[in-house]
Amino acid sequence: MSSLSPLGDPLAGPYFQAAGQGRLVVQRCNACGALRWPPLAGCPDCRNRDTTWVDVAPTGTIWSFVVYHRAFQPELVGQVPYTVAMIELDDGPYMIGRLIHGEKPPTVGDRTVAEFVDADGVPCVQWRIP
Amino acid sequence: MDAGLSALADAGVATSDLDGLIACKSVQGQGNDVAVGALLGLNLPYVQSLDYGTCNFSLHLAVMAILSGMANTVLLTYGADARSRKFDFGKPMYGADMASAAGLVHIAGRAGLALQRHKAVYGTTDEQFGMLAVGQRLWAQKNPNAIFQKPLSMADYLSEPYMVDPLRRSDVTMISDGGVAIVVTTAERAQDLPNTPVYVSGIAEHAGVRGDHNPENLMRPWLIDAAAAIWDSTGLTPADIDALYIQDPTAVWSLQMLEYYGFCALGEGGPFLAEGHTLPGGDLPLNTHGGQLSESYTWGWMHVVEAVRQLRGQAGQRQLDSPQISMYCSSHGFVKAAASILSTNPGVGR
Repeated sequence: MSSLSPLGDPLAGPYFQAAGQGRLVVQRCNACGALRWPPLAGCPDCRNRDTTWVDVAPTGTIWSFVVYHRAFQPELVGQVPYTVAMIELDDGPYMIGRLIHGEKPPTVGDRTVAEFVDADGVPCVQWRIP
Repeated sequence: MDAGLSALADAGVATSDLDGLIACKSVQGQGNDVAVGALLGLNLPYVQSLDYGTCNFSLHLAVMAILSGMANTVLLTYGADARSRKFDFGKPMYGADMASAAGLVHIAGRAGLALQRHKAVYGTTDEQFGMLAVGQRLWAQKNPNAIFQKPLSMADYLSEPYMVDPLRRSDVTMISDGGVAIVVTTAERAQDLPNTPVYVSGIAEHAGVRGDHNPENLMRPWLIDAAAAIWDSTGLTPADIDALYIQDPTAVWSLQMLEYYGFCALGEGGPFLAEGHTLPGGDLPLNTHGGQLSESYTWGWMHVVEAVRQLRGQAGQRQLDSPQISMYCSSHGFVKAAASILSTNPGVGR
């Protein structure tokens, strides 16, 4: 594994490793049980540092979304227009990710399902309106 | 430095009268206290630098330094050459993260998420929200200093393509160069200076530093706490404000703060804007210089300069009819809120 790969990141590595296996995981506080995303070194609800990565359902609803018509970075030039959404997971936490949709524009409240894709060797999660 | 010297000349304060300097590091990392202090050539008792100024935070620190007795007369400075240097605002400010990896880059992304949600929950329309961009341009046409003065009708606005749907180009500030400076001193000393003093009648802040990827981060409901603090501590209400200033790197900030500071009910920002209150001639003049959408980016510092000019009656063809009390509401990205109330009446807010 390359030293630059997020798979080995001390904080977020388990998320990428799970995505490579087709699973969606977040952190759970061992003390109070709160689920958290994005990864943090401790629980902001009870300040305990004991943490376990747990599977969550790869489903949720669109809390909001934006459609980029301008590429603000060179690597995004070939991708516009593209859509980014904040997904409210059925299990609670919110995740920001790329949203794949057909001709019909997405709307807030639409159901989405996680897809696990490989982006140049890095396992990634994107969301699709089924 | 030019802005600093202009502000000192305007205030009738000599550099030898200064005992404080508060600089702020621009987004590009320039302009901290050591850099500004070196140019001014002064070793002062109180010198400080903020990572994020947006003027309110610098102003509040100056007030605290003066009230604590650490300084009496403080120069506040901001300066940036983001346009000449072609600073990349699309680059993640705090380094790459999960959201930027998904392509959520530039402030328009997160601001757009907040607006899209506002539209879905409250039914806010493009025409209502567009009143901010259109209104700021109307004000800017009365301001020779404004960068964008070309007329912008609602039809022009609506015909603009989306940049980051639901935001159009005119909903987001431009990148500009500029320097701004303000002199703050004690009320007692201000009596002996040539200008009509403008008093800091109230200040309040509230942070929302708890985490990313959540509705609180985007909708910023903690702005209500800054609002409650400033209304409670001054005994004023929104009805007392003659001129309102809202830091507006995107028009979404104005929509949120009009609601959270109580100028209209939560969710009612759209219809409130459509009624024209904030336009020239309206009963709640907003960003009478054109704001960041039309005048200049300058991190929201010009809002305070304009508030002072209006209170002193120095605002030229956009001068309001004898405003007595002004308010400036600003934020630090998605994590901090600050508000100040300024007045020519030393009894306000006591």
